[in-house]
Amino acid sequence: MAESTTKKSSPLLIAAAWIVVIIPTAWGLDYTVKNALKIFAKPTAAPVVQTK
Amino acid sequence: MALAFLDRDRSIAPAGYSRWLVPPAALAIHLSIGQVYSFSVFKNPLLALHAADGSAWNLKEIGYIFSIAIAFLGISAALFGAWLEKAGPRRAMFYAAISFGAGFIIASLGASTHQLALIYLGYGVVGGVGLGLGYISPVSTLIKWFPDRPGLATGLAIMGFGGGAMIGGPLASNLMAHFKAAGQPSIPYTMATMGVLYFIFMMFGVFTIRVPPTGWKPEGWVPKVNHSALISSHNVAVTEAWKTPQFWLLWVMLFVNVTAGIGILEQAAPMIQDLFKGQISPVAAVGFVGILSIFNMAGRFLWASVSDFIGRKGTYFTFFVLGSILYFFLPFSRQDKINSVPLFVAIAALVISMYGGGFATIPAYLKDLFGGFNVSAIHGRLLTAWSAAGIIGPLIVNGILDHYVENHMNKQEAYPLILHIMCGLLVVGFLANLMVRPVAEKFWLKDQNVVVPDGPAH
Repeated sequence: MAESTTKKSSPLLIAAAWIVVIIPTAWGLDYTVKNALKIFAKPTAAPVVQTK
Repeated sequence: MALAFLDRDRSIAPAGYSRWLVPPAALAIHLSIGQVYSFSVFKNPLLALHAADGSAWNLKEIGYIFSIAIAFLGISAALFGAWLEKAGPRRAMFYAAISFGAGFIIASLGASTHQLALIYLGYGVVGGVGLGLGYISPVSTLIKWFPDRPGLATGLAIMGFGGGAMIGGPLASNLMAHFKAAGQPSIPYTMATMGVLYFIFMMFGVFTIRVPPTGWKPEGWVPKVNHSALISSHNVAVTEAWKTPQFWLLWVMLFVNVTAGIGILEQAAPMIQDLFKGQISPVAAVGFVGILSIFNMAGRFLWASVSDFIGRKGTYFTFFVLGSILYFFLPFSRQDKINSVPLFVAIAALVISMYGGGFATIPAYLKDLFGGFNVSAIHGRLLTAWSAAGIIGPLIVNGILDHYVENHMNKQEAYPLILHIMCGLLVVGFLANLMVRPVAEKFWLKDQNVVVPDGPAH
């Protein structure tokens, strides 16, 4: 007869599994956001646009 | 047998196994293979490589590496989709890890010996097979674990593919800088290191993935009795699915959505610099590409999750209506019109979020129409639309740009034309989505009724 009690996955195990994928994602996101913010920085020594 | 642990039977979840362990397994695969989107970081270093006789590769030759990889993604997804349904996700993920890792190693040998054919074979063909296998392997498993939220589940995984570039790009740049500083061959060593790292990371997914036992349902979840006619209570086999008009309508929708996205992604950095001459530095242009990557990733999760509430048809309706309006107005934000960089960036970011959302919502749309029985295999065949768009999209964009440059016309004027063509393509997608109806009974798999998933009215 099958055992009636079932062993549930540990919340710590679930958290650990998510941490494994979140750490590299957070690292990549941090790097990308830092670069992305440069678009809103004022350009240095922007060339003068010639208008006719 | 040593590889018996890969069998589907050996990966059935025990009672009490949490379904929240499955998305990290899928993410490990997609975050890895999503590296392909950041392949451009290798372009300049590969251009600078010289053979013993002093010869070097040109940009066109190097560009083929990415194209071959994407082509083999589509081909392998289409070819191995049906096999994956039988072999199970763990075996498919394992082969994906081997192929993707080995692809890097072979490519590193090609870079080391200055043989482009080896890079085509390694990163393009072998790695491309890894991309295709890896892309489709967790999809049906996630849908089975999350019948109440199939959009959220597939969105989570496919978000990883969008996010893979955010990891792959800086990882490659940092590794190349490290090996260069150490006086070692930077590209071969970087590629070999990345091959090993990605293999290990993907193996985490292989060991973590589990399929639900037959008849498993989320605790307390009762399928809705009233649901949209587009959510099928029947399965359609892959051999029948591709004969249905619904399959080809979805193929067209994915094709136009990807082609339109490529219209911006292919030329993102030069486009913003050309449209805002003197206002955007090359560094800021790279920042713009970064913003698009973030929205590409976020859109996959957000739009696919939203589709659980407004329906797949409603989500694509939004993509095609809002998308075509935004593509039409995007060129008007340029320097000689409204001259607003923030407006240009905001519109482009929203548009790219829908490009990503299109990828992430399509598996749930397929599941609604064809049932979950062969969804991976059907998804695999549908991904040929991506391969086709990967060829046609750049052909349109580069063809028009080349025409303007060769005829000494103002390049700035080429972008509105490109974006308005993309707008027209999205109208075609809108019509295709409008024509989607429930699959006819003659295509149903007999005696394979399944639990009706939860879903909104379309």
